[in-house]
Amino acid sequence: MVLKKAYVETTDRMLRTLELSFINEEDAKAFRFIPGQFCELSVLGKGEAPFGIASSPTENGSLKFTINKAGVLTTALHHLEEGSEVGIRGPLGNAYPIDLFKGKNVLVIGGGFAFTTLRSLIVYLLHPENRNKVKDITVIYGARMPGLLLYKEELAEWEKRKDLKLVVTVDWGDKDWKGKVGLVPNVLEEVGPASENTYAVICGPPIMIKFTFPKLMTLQFPNERIYTSLEKRMKCGIGKCGRCNIGHLYVCKDGPVFSYAQLEKLPKDY
Amino acid sequence: MKLKLDKKDLKPFLQSLMDEYNLFAPAQLAEGVYVFRKIDHPDEVDLSCSNTQKPAKEVFFPQSETMFRYEKAGKQHQVTSAEEVERKRVILGARPCDIQAVSLLDEVFLGKEYTDSYYINKRNATTIIGMACGQPLSTCFCSSTGGSPFLRKGSDLFFIDLGESFLVELLTEKGKSFQKNKFFKEAKPEEISLAKAIEEKAVQKTDASVPIEGIEKRLDLMGESLFWDRVHEICMGCRVCTYLCPTCHCFDIVDEGEHQQGQRVRNWDSCLSPLYSLETSGHNPRPSCRERTRQRLMHKFSYFPTNFNKVACVGCGRCILYCPVHFDIRKAILWTSSKRPKEFDGGMI
Amino acid sequence: MEERLKVIQDRIREKAKELLSNKTVDLIIGFGEGSLPLRTTIRFIRNPGKVDRLIWNSFCENNLSTYLHKLSQSKVGLVVKGCDARSIIALSLEKRFKPNQLFLIGVPCQRMVDRRKVSKAVQGEILQAVEEGDQLIVEGEGFKKVLNRNDFLYPSCQVCVHRTPIQANVLVGDPVEESPLIKTHPEIIEFEKKSPEERWRFFEKETSRCIRCYACREVCPMCYCAECFVDSSNPKWTEKGLSPSDLEFYHIVRAYHQTGRCSGCGACERACPMDIPLTYLTQKLNQDVKELFNFETGIDAEAPPPLSTYETEDKQEFIK
Repeated sequence: MVLKKAYVETTDRMLRTLELSFINEEDAKAFRFIPGQFCELSVLGKGEAPFGIASSPTENGSLKFTINKAGVLTTALHHLEEGSEVGIRGPLGNAYPIDLFKGKNVLVIGGGFAFTTLRSLIVYLLHPENRNKVKDITVIYGARMPGLLLYKEELAEWEKRKDLKLVVTVDWGDKDWKGKVGLVPNVLEEVGPASENTYAVICGPPIMIKFTFPKLMTLQFPNERIYTSLEKRMKCGIGKCGRCNIGHLYVCKDGPVFSYAQLEKLPKDY
Repeated sequence: MKLKLDKKDLKPFLQSLMDEYNLFAPAQLAEGVYVFRKIDHPDEVDLSCSNTQKPAKEVFFPQSETMFRYEKAGKQHQVTSAEEVERKRVILGARPCDIQAVSLLDEVFLGKEYTDSYYINKRNATTIIGMACGQPLSTCFCSSTGGSPFLRKGSDLFFIDLGESFLVELLTEKGKSFQKNKFFKEAKPEEISLAKAIEEKAVQKTDASVPIEGIEKRLDLMGESLFWDRVHEICMGCRVCTYLCPTCHCFDIVDEGEHQQGQRVRNWDSCLSPLYSLETSGHNPRPSCRERTRQRLMHKFSYFPTNFNKVACVGCGRCILYCPVHFDIRKAILWTSSKRPKEFDGGMI
Repeated sequence: MEERLKVIQDRIREKAKELLSNKTVDLIIGFGEGSLPLRTTIRFIRNPGKVDRLIWNSFCENNLSTYLHKLSQSKVGLVVKGCDARSIIALSLEKRFKPNQLFLIGVPCQRMVDRRKVSKAVQGEILQAVEEGDQLIVEGEGFKKVLNRNDFLYPSCQVCVHRTPIQANVLVGDPVEESPLIKTHPEIIEFEKKSPEERWRFFEKETSRCIRCYACREVCPMCYCAECFVDSSNPKWTEKGLSPSDLEFYHIVRAYHQTGRCSGCGACERACPMDIPLTYLTQKLNQDVKELFNFETGIDAEAPPPLSTYETEDKQEFIK
């Protein structure tokens, strides 16, 4: 693929969204994915790593990935010029269980830069073709500081929509921040969404999940209706190299999306 | 009609193989150190060892393998895959345990959804000449894992060392294509009975008492057992067991070279490395030897059987022979069974 | 010999029992019976009633001080030979453990037997091995051979002049005579006769069979870096495959990282599955350190390793 556009997402410049377009028309037509899936992106000579697809299948033409600058490959991705080549393998992994959401409410809880695949899910559900397949959509998204929120322009647009309830919060505000200040688990408790007929999808850093999950329990969400996307060190992405296993399942092939009912039966190896 | 190959004909036979195939056989790298490698001259082949250090899986799954090469041409890169096999291959002298291990690796690499073309190309292009174990070691417990020193399954041809000659069995279509090989003569009746006698004796000798049967269910009940806090203690995390194990298949993928030109390579890796599961955020789900040892044992005896109905161990005994601190996996397995000693104290039983 | 070994074994057990019973230590690490002849395994004992699992013989070849990196919080009693105790001194200089964390049960070493050399001396698998006096009697299917144990000692043991762990808290045997059986490692003698090109070819040949399992690094008590240079990706010092230059680079750098810190315990060589003679590298460097700086690892608990310090008298002719 080729880098079409890149822009910085966060004020600390550590997160950058890359918009990639296919070189070949046939590849663009053949690439079909569902929100929740990931791709292995590579810069030849630097390496390859998995990244969740941030764009929705409804946004035809290009794929978006939000990359955190953390090591050799991600630094190389950050420094790519427009028109540069990027290697891609995908789509890989399972996806959010969109079929199960039909006719139900969807609660999306995101924290920090784990929000990437959640953006894919939300944009997909908000698309006119899909919006009336699910009932109420509630999104709670928190970051440590206002500057670290992803997709700020889109968040502003979503706030204006009537067919979605969006609550954006930060752990610490700044002088320009007019929105909510509070930790995601507490905001969740405050919003208090109904658990009946609702599926919850939660993605965030381990510490956020650790404190949010009990709140979902208090709100009576059963484990089968709570889904998460796990992070694990991966290499091949197709279940051969053995690296990303949790018990007998591979996060790259049988995940990364798992329900808590599934995770309960697996060793705590994540 | 049974065939045989006289040992005086071995070198010419090997040469004739090399005229048609790439031959992989055990070669001695230093006194007592043997590996399977591509043979350039029949004199290199050394079939005297009980088993090589590095297992036969190397022929299909090399320790370091180039996956593709790339070179920058204008704005784009020219990528050339290295998955094709130039010439068909023969592997000679693989023991039944190693061959059984290859069939376990088939389950991983020839999956339903994705197939590893690097592995399968080599696999399809290879004829396997298995070598029976006439003299198993005391550390061999293949008969506890559903194998045997004379297991023929997986071999295309099967050789049995009779001293002055090898008895030759042609087992599969690939094997039967050797029917008319000019070096194979008709085996004499006494040679056939000698082979039978050697087989009977060898099968008796391997350890069939290791309680592997049902280990998956037993381990499922041992989630938070004190066993895990103790079994890892003497392990120094040296990784020798994973590098010599014929069923271990973990690998790493790295790019070598620079942006202009280079290659993508896959190398064997080990779940016992601390860095193996380290995530970019700094979080490591397996931060200590305890979790990593647990992962290794559970993968071999619980997770792999859950996916493929077979344990990922063939009883070759290399991990017992080469572990610097003499961790004996048979004792770990014994302890999970009802035959275990009452207490499991520090270290191993 | 075996009388002496039995006395030492009993004293180790006695001391271990005492230390565990009065809670001087929480844990004793020593040697135990292996399931194969010529082998011992490692025992972690916490129960004073189980000390009879500790043994002592000529196959107690491991350096147990490596375990200290895994055990930062426990109070540990360790069974140590001369070389192991010297590693511990070297580690204490590098502040790898708290001063009162250890109790060293010192065994004046009778020199360890090279089990691989013994296996190569017979045809067939050894199923039983017994030490009797200076003899090692090995038996297998259809053979029984009597070997002189002194012909089968590890080279690092043959050159050793620090067999008594004087640094230990207690000695469970009488100090032994500190004279080496041979003055220099035989491989070093050969090595020093070679020209630089020949030395390189020898080194190249021996390292070419390295499989990068890093067993040598993991069993070495002095290798404890959280990220080893070979695993570093930024900067990337080596690739991760089997290219000869990477194998050579790894071994050269590892040997040099040991300079002035290595006690010559031989754990690296004993762990290597491919039988690469690693101690000739480290021993040669130790020899050079002795000549250049008059320093031997782990003898003086106050003297820092020479490569971490600078003296104005240090030779400088190599700076051109």
